[in-house]
Amino acid sequence: MDPSEVEFLAEKETVKIIPNFSLDKIYLIGGDLGPFNPGLPVEVPVWLALNLKQRQKCRIVPPEWMDVEKLEEMRDLERREDTFTPAPCPYYMELTKLLLNYASDNIPKADEIRTLVKDIWDTRIAKLRLSADSFISQMEAHAKLDNLTLMEINTIRSFLLDSLNCMFKLRSNLQPGSSKAQFTDY
Amino acid sequence: MDTQSYLSVQPGVGMEENFLSLDDILLSHEKLPIRTECTFPRLGFLEKSSDSQDITEGTKMELPVWLSKGLYEKKRRVLSVETPKVYREGWRTVFNADPNVVNLHKMGPYYYGLGSQMLHFDSPENPEIAQTLLQTFIGRFRRIMDSSQNAYNEDTSVLVEHLDCLEKTLFRSGQSGLNGFQSWEKGQASQLTASSLVLNYRKRKMTDAQP
Repeated sequence: MDPSEVEFLAEKETVKIIPNFSLDKIYLIGGDLGPFNPGLPVEVPVWLALNLKQRQKCRIVPPEWMDVEKLEEMRDLERREDTFTPAPCPYYMELTKLLLNYASDNIPKADEIRTLVKDIWDTRIAKLRLSADSFISQMEAHAKLDNLTLMEINTIRSFLLDSLNCMFKLRSNLQPGSSKAQFTDY
Repeated sequence: MDTQSYLSVQPGVGMEENFLSLDDILLSHEKLPIRTECTFPRLGFLEKSSDSQDITEGTKMELPVWLSKGLYEKKRRVLSVETPKVYREGWRTVFNADPNVVNLHKMGPYYYGLGSQMLHFDSPENPEIAQTLLQTFIGRFRRIMDSSQNAYNEDTSVLVEHLDCLEKTLFRSGQSGLNGFQSWEKGQASQLTASSLVLNYRKRKMTDAQP
């Protein structure tokens, strides 16, 4: 899976905006988007929010978790715990990148937020690698990891699956006689 | 991450080889030391050291894996294979002690593959060979993971030097995951670039064709 595909899935999350135009309720296949009145906040999906922002028709309100104190707490909690803590948002990395690229004027202390999110990301990736390493070295059959976001899974997916394949091949050497010559079709 | 228009056939599972896999074909060219158990008449030209017409019984020579596998029979009438140096007791203790310091590329670039093929030849040490292969892989896994996931935009030839072919494939897939993520984060993923296929074929463009 491409990181761009994960970003596409992330754009379905909702975010609050304050439009400066008015429009009646619109009925889309995915759901209804409530009537737009200038100055009144309304919840829309991120893809629409970014589009409106680029056309200068709205102002984006930062989501609740995108706050310096909250992120600092999360970062410290993440560093203290050995297992994964619940992420700020299931798509925190993508939303940070998108909102801070297109709407950084609406978000206070954008640079600090970027640094904090990067810290949280680095800590979680380090934990992920540690657990992948113990998974392989103890040759477990399966592992359970809570609170992982799709982007983190995506970065390690191809490497982990390939190495588990290699391990399977080498482990099947230990049982001789169970592999007979088979012809695979291509 | 560029899309793959060509997906190469993977090497086979365990003791089998995939007929169409290029890695397996190259692997089967590795030479194994063997000892003939019967005479091969009129095949003396295969053995460079002696000048006789046929190969006598009990000659020690080297044959590639594909030939040895084909000629080997359980009743051992034709030839018997000795384990190469790298899979013997001495080297096995080195691998068990610390797998990370060994230069697997020098030990034959197909250490894991050849080791798996060796298990066809019914040597009494087979279980230990298989166990050593697995443990070496597990021991080196951490280093491959760390080096492939952290080396962005650097010259990786130093890191890749000591890896054998299987590990090199793993390294490449780790690098591609890392590069994909980094290029997405920089915003390169949404820029349109010419596909590598088009650049390689160097098609004539309309502007060049017109007079």
